[in-house]
Amino acid sequence: MARTKTDSLQGSLDLLVLKILSRRPRQHGYAIMAAIAGMSDDVLRAEEGSLYPALYRMEEAGWIRAEWIKNETGRRARVYELTAAGKKQLGAEESRWQAISAAINRVLREA
Amino acid sequence: MSLWSRIGNVFQADKVNREIEEEFEAHIAEAIAQGRDPEEARRAFGSALRQREMSHAIRVLGWLENFLQDSAYGVRSMLRSPALTMVALLSLALGIGANTAIFSLLDAVMLRSLPVKDPAQLVLLGTGTASGKTDDFARTELYSYPFYRQLREKNQVFSDTAAMCSMTNAVHGFVEGRTDSEPMNVKLVSGTYFTTLGVRAWKGRTLNDADDNSEGDHPVAVISYAWWKRSLARDPNVLNRELKLGNMIYNIVGVAPPEFFGTKVGEAPDMWIPLSMIKEVPPNFGGYRDNFSESLFILARLKPGVSSTQATSNVNLLFRQILLGFPDAELSQENRRELDKAQVPLTPMATGLSSLRRQFSEPLQILMAVVALVLLIACANIANLLLARSTARARELAVRQALGARRTRLIRQLLTESLILALFGGALGVAFASAGNRLLLRMISGGPETIPLNVSIDLRLLAFALAVTVATAILFGTIPAFRSTRLELTNTLKAGRGPQDTLRKNRLARVLIVSQVSLSLVLMVGAGLFLRSLVNLDKIDTGFNRENVLRLEIDSSSAGYKPGEPRAIALDQEIEERVSALPSVRAASFSAFTFHEGSWGSNVVVPGTNIGQSVDVKHNVVGDGYFATMQIPLLRGRSFSPSDTSTSQRVAIISEHLAKVLFPLGNPLGRHYGLGDDKPENDVIVVGIAKNVKFGELAEDPVNLDYFPYTQRPWDFGDFEVRYTGAYAPIAAAVQQTIHSIDRNLPISKVTTLDEQVARTLTNQRLVAQLCTFFGVLSGFLSCIGIYGLMSYVVSRRTNEIGIRMALGAARFTVGWLVIRETLWLAVVGIAIGIPIALGGSRLVSDMLYGFRGADPASLAAVVMLLLLVALFAGYFPARRASKVDPMVALRYE
Repeated sequence: MARTKTDSLQGSLDLLVLKILSRRPRQHGYAIMAAIAGMSDDVLRAEEGSLYPALYRMEEAGWIRAEWIKNETGRRARVYELTAAGKKQLGAEESRWQAISAAINRVLREA
Repeated sequence: MSLWSRIGNVFQADKVNREIEEEFEAHIAEAIAQGRDPEEARRAFGSALRQREMSHAIRVLGWLENFLQDSAYGVRSMLRSPALTMVALLSLALGIGANTAIFSLLDAVMLRSLPVKDPAQLVLLGTGTASGKTDDFARTELYSYPFYRQLREKNQVFSDTAAMCSMTNAVHGFVEGRTDSEPMNVKLVSGTYFTTLGVRAWKGRTLNDADDNSEGDHPVAVISYAWWKRSLARDPNVLNRELKLGNMIYNIVGVAPPEFFGTKVGEAPDMWIPLSMIKEVPPNFGGYRDNFSESLFILARLKPGVSSTQATSNVNLLFRQILLGFPDAELSQENRRELDKAQVPLTPMATGLSSLRRQFSEPLQILMAVVALVLLIACANIANLLLARSTARARELAVRQALGARRTRLIRQLLTESLILALFGGALGVAFASAGNRLLLRMISGGPETIPLNVSIDLRLLAFALAVTVATAILFGTIPAFRSTRLELTNTLKAGRGPQDTLRKNRLARVLIVSQVSLSLVLMVGAGLFLRSLVNLDKIDTGFNRENVLRLEIDSSSAGYKPGEPRAIALDQEIEERVSALPSVRAASFSAFTFHEGSWGSNVVVPGTNIGQSVDVKHNVVGDGYFATMQIPLLRGRSFSPSDTSTSQRVAIISEHLAKVLFPLGNPLGRHYGLGDDKPENDVIVVGIAKNVKFGELAEDPVNLDYFPYTQRPWDFGDFEVRYTGAYAPIAAAVQQTIHSIDRNLPISKVTTLDEQVARTLTNQRLVAQLCTFFGVLSGFLSCIGIYGLMSYVVSRRTNEIGIRMALGAARFTVGWLVIRETLWLAVVGIAIGIPIALGGSRLVSDMLYGFRGADPASLAAVVMLLLLVALFAGYFPARRASKVDPMVALRYE
C-alpha cells in the first residue's frame, strides 16, 4: 500500500496529537508516535524529526504540559497531557478540519 | 507564560539541553524495547545535533540568548587587549560624563520646572529682572502691597494671586534658647503664597491669608526643610520652637517639603514670613500700607481655560484702574505719559525666576557645544581603534562566513560588542558626571558660599546619559561593523592580504583622524579666545585699587540700631576710628556699596536746566575715609570731613563723568543740584570730583556716580572696608575683634577681600575659559592617541613592505621619514579643514569676548604649531619602530 507522504500531516499533526492526548492522557513521545501510526493503520506516520519540535512548540504555546515520571521499567520518561487551553484549541482545530475537508469534498463532487 | 519560560530557559540552557537529550534517549530506548533496530532508530532521528538545536531553539528566546553570548564574547575580547579597552573606556567616560554634567547644570538652571503644582499655570507680572524698592509711578516690575490686595480682589482671570518681596532679608537672628545669632535668609511673602503655588506643608501648616491681613501682629514663620535639617537637626518638636528676629519673637508654624526651595532658581530662603511683618523684620523695609512703596513681585495662577492674552488685557486694565484710584497718586503730565506707555507683560513662571539663568545661559550653551565636540572626537577615536582591531579579526570573520554565518548575524555581534563597550563607558561616565556636577557647582558659585542648586542625577538625566551612550555606540560601532563583514572571502582566507582591503580601511581611518585633528583645532582655538578674553577683563583698570582691602558686612539693624539714629552714626564713626588706629591699617570706611553690589539710583535736578531729568544717577553713601581706603583719586576739591555733619550744608562728591554730564561748562565745584527733585531737603552742593570707577561690572561704560556722607544720608545695610598692609589673616581677625569690643552683638558676615569680590564677577568667563582649556587639552590628547594608534597599525601592516624596501637598500631614516611624512600630512589636512570652522565659530561667540573681535593670526599660529607638535610626537614612536625593522624578520612576516 502506497505510504502517504508525511507532508500531508503538516497542518494536522497538532490536531492529531491533541486528539490522542485527549483520549489517552499522559503519554510519552514514542507512545504518541506509535498511536498515530497504529490508529491510522500505518497510513499516517509522524517522523521523530517533526514530532518533537511540534511537541515542544505546543508545550511553549501552553496547549500541553509535560513532566518527568518513572515508568514501569524504572527509567525516566517525559509524559504529556492536555491543558484546558489545549482542549479549547482542540475544539478549534477540529472544527477547522471539518470545514476544510467538507469544502474539499464539495469541490470534488462538483468538479 | 511561554515568554517568561523562554526567557528563563536562556539562563538554564544546559539544563534544557540535557532534558532534550534525555528525552531523545528515552524515545530510542523505548523503540529498541519495542523491537526496532537500534541503528535504525537512531537514524530515524536524523542528525542528533540538528534535532537538539531545533528543539533548543523552540524552547529558548533566541535573540536574548544571542545577545548574552555576544556580550560575553565581547567582554572577553575586551579583556584580552586591556590597554586599548582602557583608552576607549576612559575617553568614552569623559565624553559621556562631561555631556551629562553640563546638561544637568543646564537643566537645573534653565529647564527644570518648579516643584509646585501645575507650574505651567503660573505667571509673573513683569519680567522679574528688577529687584529692590522704588516709588516710581507706573513701574511694571515692582508693586506695592495695597496694589497687590486690590489686584487680588478685582481680577477675573486668576484663581489665586500672591506677592513676594523682591529682595531677600539677610537677617542675623536667634533661635530661641541659643545665645549666638546665626545668619538667616528670610523671604517675606503674602499669606496666599503657598496656596497659589499649591505647596502643602511637610509638617504643621503653611501660611494663609489671615496671617497677612493686619500689620505687625502675625509673627509666624514657615521654615524650609533644608534649614530645619541644618540648623535645628530635624527636631521633631519644631512646631513649638521660636525665633527672634530684630525685636520680635516668631513662632514656627510649619516646615516646607524637602524639594521646595521657593520660586527663584539659585536662591533658597531659610524661612518664609508674612508680608504683614515687613516693618519688623530687619532691615525693616516697611511699606505695608504705602500705595507707592513698590518692592514686591506679584505672581498668580491662571484660572483654567483662561488664555494668557485674556489675562494680560485684564491685568493691564486693572493696572491703570488701581493706580489712578490711589488717592495719593501724582498725576502730573509726565506720570500720565508713563502710564499710557506702560504695558505689563505676563511672564510664565513654570521654571521660576532666575538671575543665574541670565548670567549663565550663553556660557552653558557654548559648553554644551564644546562637550558634544569632545564626545565626537572620542567616538572617532574608538571607531578607529575598533577598525584596527577588526582587521586583525578579518580571518576569523571570514571563516565564520564561509561556514555559513549570515552577515547580519555577524554585524549584530559586532554591534553588541560596541554597545557593551558604550554601556560600560556610560556607567563610568555617570559616575564622572556626579563628581563633575559638584565641581561645576563650586566653579559657578565663585565665592565662598555654594549656590543652592539641585544638580543631583535624576531620572531625566539618566535617560539623557543612556540616549547619548546608545547614540555613541551606534556612531562608532556601525561603520566598523559593516566594513569588516563586507569581505571577499577568498582573498581574506589566503595567507597575506589583498592590497585593496588595506587601502579602503586606511582611507576611512584617515578621514577619522583628520576630523579629530580639525575638531581639536576648533576646541583649542576656542579655549585660547576665552582665555584671552578673561585676561583682558582681569586687567581692566577699576579706578580704585583693589589690592589689600579687607571687606566685610556688619548687620547693625539686627543688633537694634535704626538707620540714621545718632546712635547708629556714632557707632559707625567709632568703629572707623578704632579700626584706623590699628597697626597695619592705612584707612577704613563704611559705604553702602563697593563693587557689583546693586545700586540705589534716581534722577537728579539741576536748577535752571532740565539736564538731570532723564539721567539715571547711581548714589553711594560713604564714610569720610572712603576715598582714602579705596584709593580713588580726587581730581578736584576735597573729600568728606568731620565738618560735614547732619546739620551742616548737604554736600556731595560727583564722578568725573557725571560732572561732564551735569555741568558741561565751567567749574562744577560749588554748584547745586537736587536729588530726585528740587525740594530744599534734597539739595546738595558739589565739593569734590572723583575719578571714574567701575561700579557694577568690569566691562561697563563710565557710570554716573555720586557720593554722600553717611552723616547726612541714613543708610541701613552696608559694607565696611579696610585698607591694610601685610598679611590678610591677622588683620581680618584684629578688625573683627575690634568691632566686637565696641558692641559684642554686632553680627559680622561675608568677610572677604575686595579683590576676591571683583574676581567673582568674572565667574562665568572663568568657567568657560577653564573648561574650554581642559577640553581643548583633552581633545589634543585624544587626537594624539588616535594618530599613534593608526600609525602603529599602519606600520605593523606594512612591515612586509618595509622589509622589502630595506632589503633593496633604503636607509633606516628614509623608512622612518615615510611614517612621519604621512603623520604630518594627516595633521596638515586636519588643520586646514579646522581653521575655517574655528574662524566661523569665533565669530559666533564674539559677543562674549572682551577687547577683541575674533581669532588673531598669532594665537591661531600658536595652536597650529601645538597641533603639529602633538602629531609629530604621536608619529615618532611608530616611525622609530619602522626604522628598527629587521629586513630578514620582516620578509618572513605575514
